[in-house]
Amino acid sequence: MREIAEVALDVASGAGASYADCRVVQRGIQSLVVKDGAFAEISSLEDEGVGIRVIVDGAWGFAAVDRVDATSLTDAARLACRIARASARVRREPVRLASCAIAIGHYVTPLTLDPFEVSLEDKMALLIMADEAMGSVPGVTTHEASLEFVREHRYFASTEGSRIEQTIIESGGGMDATATSADDVQTRSYPNSFGRHQLCAGYEAIMAMDLAGNGERIASEAVALLSASVCPTGRMTVILDATQAALQVHESCGHPTELDRARGDEAAFAGTSFLTPDLVDTFRYGSEQVTITANALAPGGLGTFGWDDEGVPAQRTVLVDRGVFRGYMSSRETAADLGWSSTGAMRAESWNRIPIIRMTNVNLEPGGSSLEEMIATTEHGVYLETNRSWSIDDRRLNFQFGTQNGWEIKDGRLVRLVKNALYSGRTPEFWRSCDAVAGSAEWAMWGVVNCGKGQPEQLMHVGHGAAPCRFRDVVVGATPA
Amino acid sequence: MSLRNPDDMVALADSVLEAVGHEGAEVAVIGCEEALTRFAGNRIHQNVAESSQRLRLRVISDDRVGVAEIRGEIEDAPRRLAAAAEAARRLSPPGEVTPLPRPDAGADDPVAHSPATAACTPEWRAAQVERIVSVSMAAGFEAFGALETSLTHTVVVNGRGVRRHARSTSAGLVCVVRGAGGWGYADRHHFDTARLDVEGLAAEAVDTCGRNQGAEPIDPGVYAVVLSPYAVAELIAHLSDLGFSALARQERRSFMRPGERLMSPGVTVTDDASHPDAMPFPFDDEGVSTRGVSCIEDGVCRSFLHDSATALREGVPSTGHAVPMPNTFGPWARHLIVGAGDRSGESLVADCERGLYVTRFWYVRDVHPLRTVITGMTREGTFLIEKGRLVRPVGDLRFTQSIVDALSDVRGIGRERSIEIDEGGRAVLAPAMHLGHFAFSS
Repeated sequence: MREIAEVALDVASGAGASYADCRVVQRGIQSLVVKDGAFAEISSLEDEGVGIRVIVDGAWGFAAVDRVDATSLTDAARLACRIARASARVRREPVRLASCAIAIGHYVTPLTLDPFEVSLEDKMALLIMADEAMGSVPGVTTHEASLEFVREHRYFASTEGSRIEQTIIESGGGMDATATSADDVQTRSYPNSFGRHQLCAGYEAIMAMDLAGNGERIASEAVALLSASVCPTGRMTVILDATQAALQVHESCGHPTELDRARGDEAAFAGTSFLTPDLVDTFRYGSEQVTITANALAPGGLGTFGWDDEGVPAQRTVLVDRGVFRGYMSSRETAADLGWSSTGAMRAESWNRIPIIRMTNVNLEPGGSSLEEMIATTEHGVYLETNRSWSIDDRRLNFQFGTQNGWEIKDGRLVRLVKNALYSGRTPEFWRSCDAVAGSAEWAMWGVVNCGKGQPEQLMHVGHGAAPCRFRDVVVGATPA
Repeated sequence: MSLRNPDDMVALADSVLEAVGHEGAEVAVIGCEEALTRFAGNRIHQNVAESSQRLRLRVISDDRVGVAEIRGEIEDAPRRLAAAAEAARRLSPPGEVTPLPRPDAGADDPVAHSPATAACTPEWRAAQVERIVSVSMAAGFEAFGALETSLTHTVVVNGRGVRRHARSTSAGLVCVVRGAGGWGYADRHHFDTARLDVEGLAAEAVDTCGRNQGAEPIDPGVYAVVLSPYAVAELIAHLSDLGFSALARQERRSFMRPGERLMSPGVTVTDDASHPDAMPFPFDDEGVSTRGVSCIEDGVCRSFLHDSATALREGVPSTGHAVPMPNTFGPWARHLIVGAGDRSGESLVADCERGLYVTRFWYVRDVHPLRTVITGMTREGTFLIEKGRLVRPVGDLRFTQSIVDALSDVRGIGRERSIEIDEGGRAVLAPAMHLGHFAFSS
């Protein structure tokens, strides 16, 4: 890896690059899926390549190649420089990068049990047990359980002198049970929806999920939802479980605090942000209960690493402090525009994509309440669990979420299961209505594995620490039965 | 950098078949040269190129299946790939396994391919961006967008005699334009860069932006709508995902009820991989020739899309709509064609007494799949229609609406169609439509 990177940097410098960096990435992914009692997929992926990013004539160019011989690398480095010269034809100010200490080091995801050392037989046995547990419930139509493991070895080198080696390990798993009737389809997922829950961790994370132990429960809940009442509608108190709170943070705080969105770099695709730089330190984003950080040092998160993909060290950045908007996730380029330092959030999906500003672990910090206390002190409202649908506008203001499960709350008690729940609002008004966040005992790190952004699109794995939280006077709706 | 020689890719696929050594092997080799020039605030801010190759193997024997994939030129790839797939196959429990398809009589054309696109350079892409930026700046606006070109060579072979290969190209240009008080949008897609109407795109985006300044909020509620082809394409893509697949029917989650009229006469949706305007491509990921399927005909639900697994369950032939197998998603439409009407875009608006014109939908997600209820936002050009005229821009709105319900009240369909390509590479050829009602919630 080292020799490959040095060749690329030498060629880029020789071809006129005032700055160049090179990432060599080797990635292995193992996937197992059981559906309705049969193995739907047992697969492995090996992936290797090099991405070379350069500044020539004050503009960016990037070329990526999956061949790591000297000829291919030389061609790729020269192409990156040619592309940068083409970029310079439609340039304004030359690219400037915020200063960054030269980094020499290595990082490995801490783990207890390497998932690639666990036999396929053991993994399959776990999935079969989970699938059978779901399938044992009468009325379930389809059921599916999956595991995924990722090992990524990255080497970063820059013409400034940084040389960084990192090995990231991820372990993920999840399951879904679906029940259908003539006019309804209801799904319950565990531990989270849309595929799986994933962490930067070893196989111990899978064992802690207890997939088999939760199979019958979620399947029974899917069946029960078919005959459940439709969620009540109107303005009322909403309590979110930790997984839905994590997605709420992702969409309504994580994305709008990406500085590239705020300056318009994503305007043609992912969108912009209502949080403009002039609002830093003055804008009331949420209530006093709401403190949100971007923390690449948080144990277990999918955004936990040693350095980002332009060599800036992992760090904790306060985005919202007791309700006040404080700052952004940034890159060296976007930070330099504002005279700031990078907060270390440049991440690339793999060798074939440029790093762009991505969430690390955007966490709603623990509060002082508990789910039990929140329910007990709610006169009328709903407790909503596990995301079913999500949508938010391009400035990250107008959102609507749906959840798989809901419980109506009356006089401090969960009184009945309800389905098809939706809630909607505008981001600052919603977070300002937050009057309670559960404490550390109910706070957990969650993983989102399908965060799309950039062109060509990149799907990033990001983390969110969250706990159950309560919001007052929220618009609650429902799709009809 | 340059794409590997097609003959070398076929030889690579054959060497994997040889390494497996029995007929239950399917190999796909996909080589791709992609480049994308991205611009924001009237400047190019990201500009990338990638050369890559994917090598995928599925092995089937003794009622077991295993899959392995290698991306990149990894040493001794055929042997390593065969060993990895065989290890997965050996460990998988025996069960119902769909056999690999046998060759069909389909030809390896038509294919969307253009030498001009294949030869596209970074300088050409930058020059097109420069043209757009010039038009935008002349209007006092800022341009944002992306211009993407790609060349792909696809090889699919299997041990039962399937041998397919195709060389395809694609070009896409997306542009939003920002003024002091609003935005405009336009996009163009074609496999031939020579037919990418760059000036038309710039003019359209600037025109929409100019008319979309100073939008005022409007009360949510149920409105008649005139949807641009961009917005119709988005609806139809979601409709397809919610029910055109035979797997969706087999799992009882499809809205489709064959033979029943659920939508207005005039609503016709087919999947046609040979249509010259819908990025034609002749075969699916199993190497099966893709047949045209009429899914909705004059508002009546008709046929479903099959891969070999769903086809086997029903005792019918595959329609050639497989994605890499095995999978839990089922067959997928890649070339959706919405039937054209006889109306001009202007007459669709002229016939609307009061309603909204929607340029584009954004962040559309399923809310209740069986009822085809989706939610999303309007973006970059929503206008109030009164007495058949666009009278003023309005703020973006959230909608929550059943697609089938909306398409059951079609008042008019445009005769001009445009092609949309989504992030998954699916083409949708769609006209504008006038719908009698559409529910906006906030």
